[in-house]
Amino acid sequence: MESLYLLLPLSVLLVLALIGVFGWAVNAGQFDDLDREGWRVLEENRSETAGTARTPFDPDQA
Amino acid sequence: MSFQRANVNPSMPFSAAAPGQVGNAELPEDDKAALGDSTRWFTDDAGVHVADSVFALQGMYCAACSGVIEAALQALPGVLQVEVNAASRRAKVRWNPVRVKLAQMFKAVEAAGYRAVPAQHEALRVARQRESRQALWRLFVAGFCMMQVMMLVAPAYVAAPGEIATDLEALLRWAAWVLSLPVLLFSAGPFFTGAWHALRQHRIGMDVPVALGIVITFVAGTAVTFDPTGPFGREVYLDSMTMFVTFLLAGRWLESRARARSTEALDDLLQRMPDSVERIDDAGRSETVLASRLRVGDRVRVALGQAFPGDGELIDGSTQIDEALLSGESRPVERRVGESVVGGTVNVGVPVLVRLSCVGEGTRYRQIVDLVQRALAERPQMLRTADRWAGPFLWGVLVMAALAAAAWSVIDPSRALWVAVSVLIVTCPCALSLAAPAALLSAAGALARCGVLVQRLDALETLARTDTACLDKTGTLTQDRLVLAHIGIHEGADRGAMLARAASLAALSHHPLSRALTQALPAPQGEWSAVREVAGQGIQARDAQGRLWQLGSPAWVGVQASAARPVVAFAQVSGRPEDTAIFEFDEALRADAGQALQQLHAQGVAVRLLSGDSQASVDAVARRLNISQAQGAATPEGKLGALSALQAEGHCVLMVGDGVNDGPVLARADVSFALAHGSALAQQRSDFIVLGSRLAEVPAARALAKRTVSVMRQNLLWALLYNAACVPLALAGLLPPWAAGAGMAVSSLAVVLNALRLSR
Repeated sequence: MESLYLLLPLSVLLVLALIGVFGWAVNAGQFDDLDREGWRVLEENRSETAGTARTPFDPDQA
Repeated sequence: MSFQRANVNPSMPFSAAAPGQVGNAELPEDDKAALGDSTRWFTDDAGVHVADSVFALQGMYCAACSGVIEAALQALPGVLQVEVNAASRRAKVRWNPVRVKLAQMFKAVEAAGYRAVPAQHEALRVARQRESRQALWRLFVAGFCMMQVMMLVAPAYVAAPGEIATDLEALLRWAAWVLSLPVLLFSAGPFFTGAWHALRQHRIGMDVPVALGIVITFVAGTAVTFDPTGPFGREVYLDSMTMFVTFLLAGRWLESRARARSTEALDDLLQRMPDSVERIDDAGRSETVLASRLRVGDRVRVALGQAFPGDGELIDGSTQIDEALLSGESRPVERRVGESVVGGTVNVGVPVLVRLSCVGEGTRYRQIVDLVQRALAERPQMLRTADRWAGPFLWGVLVMAALAAAAWSVIDPSRALWVAVSVLIVTCPCALSLAAPAALLSAAGALARCGVLVQRLDALETLARTDTACLDKTGTLTQDRLVLAHIGIHEGADRGAMLARAASLAALSHHPLSRALTQALPAPQGEWSAVREVAGQGIQARDAQGRLWQLGSPAWVGVQASAARPVVAFAQVSGRPEDTAIFEFDEALRADAGQALQQLHAQGVAVRLLSGDSQASVDAVARRLNISQAQGAATPEGKLGALSALQAEGHCVLMVGDGVNDGPVLARADVSFALAHGSALAQQRSDFIVLGSRLAEVPAARALAKRTVSVMRQNLLWALLYNAACVPLALAGLLPPWAAGAGMAVSSLAVVLNALRLSR
């Protein structure tokens, strides 16, 4: 039972952190175009630079 | 990271790009500013100057295209990151200006079969995007916290008193309180700002009761959290608050998406013009310039999938053009060198060169956009009435909530607050206020897609009631040209030879009747000599055998003919009677005139012809189209009189005209349609404008108006039923606040989705 006193505050912090992560994802544009990412699997492998394109980024955040 | 302005950055790509070195896409000096808007310059972590640019892509049709473009850009050295968004047709590129030139990137995209230009209006688009992201985030925060709060308060509902240790119970309450804070402070923000704006203007907006409900539940919840023995008892309020905020936000979010879809066609129309274009100078070099910098006489290359930046003339290349949004014609039309093109239409054939004859304000496209914006800015009568009633209604809601709280504090004090909050949330007239405009906008969007511009949203309602249609003849039922209707030829003559001879002679003349003749009869090359055209009479010439022939007015040729309709005679001068032919002409009916009238008949609309032309020609057209009531030789006053007489008989009159000559008559009619041809759009004052002059759009628009009115009725009925059912339930204490929030969200969503049916 005593562990609840620690787990409850921790779960609250975890929820707040999750909200923060989701906020980052939304503002980084990960939900702007949901179609595009699905197509990526169908594309043939590109050169070693292909990996960089997979990280969405946003000029606003730069 | 540090930001540097483009003009202080020594490694600017423009100074490094020598003319000629980078081919046809180099940027002129004056477009630095244009790129500056779409590009950020900064030094990355490794100390390298890089740029983040946003390019607008043209020629993209599906999500699969974005992979091709990404690959093309990625292949360039110096391009660090590329991401193409298929939905917004934008490419975000991070690149190193020292290692790659802007022009190289444009060339790479072009080589892949697309076209990239620096994105304009980027600030506006980014702002809109930020708004939609924010809305999604708010919704997520509310939903996520709602679930957590529910978990944390669950023990309070199920546990018997004393079953949980007091301090653990307090900890659970505090945790729930902390998690409800983001909902109150962040997610519910729009309701508070909305309510605040309304109150500052001494109005009472729809957000006021909702904001009040949120504040009341939160205050009560806070009091319970920190003092469970206080006046609010041991009830839990915070779960209700997070729940109805979530439902309201979900409703709004879905609703805004649905609304965006219903006005897609209108938005598409308003944002047709390209941002920047490829101009070809006198020396044949090309440069990318802003569309706003174009001047009359400029030569512009228009790539595949790009819109023409202004009205002009094709000077190189024949192509197909998609004029759907300007004319409603869904099939691409063929255009050859020398023919004119209209700004805003899309080139779907091959890249062409255009000389601009009109740019900016004067173009047909601008006029259309102005008309649409004027119509959208106007608030329909129905909405103005609704606005007048909204104030008293909302005051009524507040008073009712207060009375309910007072009554319940006598009956059962523990539920008083609950009931008041439920009443505040459930009576929000969102669905009621959306019922009419959602349907009207959706219908206007659907009509715009068929090339019918709605000028007065109110007119849609009236159009559904019309029972009589008055049509003008010239320019409405008929076209401006004539068609060959009858050939009179002497019995004993060689028919084929005579017709061929007449047609080949007619081919030498530019008179409208000669043109109609050659259009009807294929004209072989004739061997004519000594050709002489007599103005107002006809044309004469000698054939290979030296015989003199005349083609022209019967009197001049010397042939007897009736004067019921336009006639041309053809004869050999002082020849035999067999060498005589008479051609009679009719006005050309619009191809879809018969079909349109039939549909109007089928809809139960009485059709009348009202024209200023001679009674004989009006009767002729009426006979061909089976119109029983035709009035010819009507002066403008006569037309007005006829219209007023019909209206006095109780008819709701729909008038269709060409919009130029019958302005007053169109204004007098209950609903007016103008078939717009040419460039007189700006003077149009009719309720509907049919671009591309297809008459069949009139019955189609009427059918849609009928559906719109029925959807509006359904919406209003639904909204009223919802309020009528839920308010008593809330007053009776049978509706908890979370159910009130869900009900309100569902009811406004139902209204918008119902309206969306119209745009299909």
